[in-house]
Amino acid sequence: MREFMDYIQSAFYGATGWNRDNSYSTLNATSDALLHFATPRGLRLTLSSLATPHFATAYQLGTVGIVDGSISYLYSTVPLDYHAVAQSEKIPLPELLQSYSPLAELGRRNRIKGARQDVLAYGRLYLPMSMLEALMVKRISPTLQMQVSAVSDQTLRNGGTVLGMVQYDEGRYGIEGLASSDGGLMGIRGLYNFGGDVAGSASPNGIQDVENGTNAPERERIYGRFSAGGELYYGTLNKSGGMSLGTRFATLPSHKGTPLTATMTVNPLMGTLSWTYAVMAGRNCSLGTKMDFNVYSYESAWSVGMELWRKKGAWTVDADIDGDADVTSGAQTNPLPQRSFQAKMEWRMDDDPLPFLHTPDLSPAVVPHVASEPTAKQRTFRAKLDWRKNHEEEDEDLYSGVLKARLDHHWRIGLLWEGRVKSLLFSLGSGIDLRRPDSPFRTLGLEVQFSSS
Amino acid sequence: MAFNFNWSPLTADAEFYKRAQELLTNALNKSPKPPIIVDDILVTEFNLGSVPPDLEILEIGDLAEDRFRGIFKMCYSGDAFLTLRTRVQANPLNTYLSAKPTFTSPQPLAAAAGLTIPLSITLSEIKLSAFIILVFSKQKGITIVFRNDPLESLKVSSTFDSIQFVREYLQRTIEGQLRNLMMDELPAIIHKLSLRLWCPDQIPRDEDIVKENVENEAVVDPFANPPVEAVDSYGHVLDANEIASLSLDNGSGAQSLFSQKNMLRLAALTDSHRTLSLFTPGIRNAMFRAWAGPTERHETGASTPIVAPTLYRMPSAQGSSTIYTFTDASSMDQGSLPSRPSLVSLNSSASGLGLGAGKHSRSFRKKKTRVVNLRRPKTESETSSDAGDTVSDTVSVTAPISEPILPTSIPEEVEEETALPQAADRVRFGGDKKSTFIRAPLNMDICKEPIATSRAHATLPADESKVPSSNMEQSKPAGSDTSSVILEQAWIMKMADEIARRVYDEKQRNEKLWEERDDTPPPAYQPTQ
Repeated sequence: MREFMDYIQSAFYGATGWNRDNSYSTLNATSDALLHFATPRGLRLTLSSLATPHFATAYQLGTVGIVDGSISYLYSTVPLDYHAVAQSEKIPLPELLQSYSPLAELGRRNRIKGARQDVLAYGRLYLPMSMLEALMVKRISPTLQMQVSAVSDQTLRNGGTVLGMVQYDEGRYGIEGLASSDGGLMGIRGLYNFGGDVAGSASPNGIQDVENGTNAPERERIYGRFSAGGELYYGTLNKSGGMSLGTRFATLPSHKGTPLTATMTVNPLMGTLSWTYAVMAGRNCSLGTKMDFNVYSYESAWSVGMELWRKKGAWTVDADIDGDADVTSGAQTNPLPQRSFQAKMEWRMDDDPLPFLHTPDLSPAVVPHVASEPTAKQRTFRAKLDWRKNHEEEDEDLYSGVLKARLDHHWRIGLLWEGRVKSLLFSLGSGIDLRRPDSPFRTLGLEVQFSSS
Repeated sequence: MAFNFNWSPLTADAEFYKRAQELLTNALNKSPKPPIIVDDILVTEFNLGSVPPDLEILEIGDLAEDRFRGIFKMCYSGDAFLTLRTRVQANPLNTYLSAKPTFTSPQPLAAAAGLTIPLSITLSEIKLSAFIILVFSKQKGITIVFRNDPLESLKVSSTFDSIQFVREYLQRTIEGQLRNLMMDELPAIIHKLSLRLWCPDQIPRDEDIVKENVENEAVVDPFANPPVEAVDSYGHVLDANEIASLSLDNGSGAQSLFSQKNMLRLAALTDSHRTLSLFTPGIRNAMFRAWAGPTERHETGASTPIVAPTLYRMPSAQGSSTIYTFTDASSMDQGSLPSRPSLVSLNSSASGLGLGAGKHSRSFRKKKTRVVNLRRPKTESETSSDAGDTVSDTVSVTAPISEPILPTSIPEEVEEETALPQAADRVRFGGDKKSTFIRAPLNMDICKEPIATSRAHATLPADESKVPSSNMEQSKPAGSDTSSVILEQAWIMKMADEIARRVYDEKQRNEKLWEERDDTPPPAYQPTQ
């Protein structure tokens, strides 16, 4: 489960129109969400709240043998309540639970860039060990963002570290430069996009133009964006460095077929090759695989992961049948003209338009969202987003939970079951080692989160 | 005195290497490894080589059949080598990130991908230079403490010799790890090995010896402090040897010298000095003094390090064959002096032994007196001088200051005319009543004079006229040894060493202050008996 503050932070990026995905460091984000999700350890309780649109707090108490906790505060100059639902009973689960997330359209994002110099400040104090984390994000210009993160801890050398990062995002390409006080590490990484929507966005009319183009049927077969990038690090104090290159192909939301993401990364210094492949196999199921190979040591590794969403209606047989019927009928009757309109939206809507069309009638559970719609509709283009978000919520509110599982070459299994009970979000996870039949459960944990606004 | 260290038998024993490898492997894997080492460290080859280390004996603190304590200086630059095998992380970025908090991690995508490489490291050309405190006791095995960082240099050759920066990194990491190993783990390894070597054969041996030692065992008093124990056990053994040489002495006298009762009283007395206890045990024929006398440590530097003055004691040591040197903090202090007085003292004791042998043959006295310094931080020395015979037992490794006087004439003078200065220095008590009252009563003047002379001699030779007897020997022990509790735990000694060194430094700084204070020994007083 993502931490509440991380969720709020992504809301800040959403509010300021910053695309987190357009960075080389998030090249593998999709497969990482499927393969490297963190399983909780011990018991952990989080109380959080978005007290005002600009201010959020979170208190965490946990125990793994010893009791520890943390207090965190977040301040943003941008009101966040439009972009994040803070109440835990209404938070859209897929957004919080890191599912297979498709790439956002670049063209749309560029339009909503604000010129304001928005600032986010975040601090977190871990109590027994009195470790302090601080983060500051400042948007300097529509294409430039600065980010400084620091940790103060007695156990660290020099008492703490600071990492500064400057991010430049031009849409077609994004560059980051970073410097760390620890070992004098300097780094630069960049990502360049081509193909797909980027190729089309060069023309003034953007996506619509492409969509109406002559080779649209071709794109329907496979329509996505290629990205290529690299990173380079050098530690000025310890005279060491590292680098890697990577490419990615990911389908865009307007792609009609099965959404997929494939990446390949190469570390030429260490001879490591890595491939990942993630696919949304069905409405409720995503699969991911990863394979590593080292050409020098012949070491290899693989892991597979799965994500299975459980629909809220699935508790009763009738609702399940209804849902299935809706899906099939919707897929058949979906008219083509709607595509261009929906292309601006997330692929999920494109793929499954029915819930947002029909669920308000079907399910009484989404009444609160319907109530919030009129206010949202009064807004301009930003309101469109909110409106879309609200509908996404309705769509995703069908889900009551998700089961994630992964297996790697050490025969270790990670299991995670996350969901919502009333207004509590829970996350139950375990790490299992199959090679130790006597005590297979290596870790076990439960996280409970409650948030309000 | 010579030691014969046999180096090759260690290598001849195949089992030894196997055990040593095992212990080394365990020790290397015990402490948390640096992140670059991603696997267990295996010791695949281990050879002590053919060149033995150079051992220099700086000081022997305790020497008995079943115990030994000494300080050595060890230099080693031999051909021993050690081959380790492990797997290391070759990506420096990976190890860099492993120790960092994730919050400020740059989170590289694939640049931190790990590459583990099997690595074999050979450590050779090991150069060691160390001061070693070695404590051996049959019950507790061997304890070794390094007083300094023993590792001088080391050659690390590995699979990565061609890559400069990896090699440097490995060299640095391994040196650090090895230092840790030497200082912390090696003593434990040696202790374990020694326990394995000694404890199994100690048990049967004890049973054999038990009958022989019944008498000895009976003497040992658990309440007595270790020096007493040392005296008894060693004295007993040597009593047997003594029979030939000391046939003229009455054996009972020798025994009474070490009477358990007296020793207990002495122990109580030292305890009462160390604590606030007002109880002072009465010891017959003994004079008490608030402190035993000036210990001119500062004078050791000024005076020429002369071996001779100690010698008059050494004969006694030879005669009664009772040698104790009880070293404690102050002795360690001496060891750390640049001039190495302890080394000097060692020489003196050796020569003293030789000289004593000659002297012993001609000296026959009946009475024995012992001079026991009860003051711990002061200069030590237990002297049991026999008034009748010249067999005066001295147990001391002292580097006395004062004028260079030939030792041969000393014994008589010590007993008679020159008894006074010595008495000023230390408390004496005699085994016989006669011995104490032979001497003139002590008073302040007499006490002061010898001291003054000694100082004058060092600084102003012209003042010697004041000295009543120019030939006066005054033994001012350098304080290299002190009778004290034997500290089996060598690390305590280490700490005490630090304290003593600080005290010494302090003393060096305000030398004059100390001088003046030392000049006036307190008046003696006699307990009512």
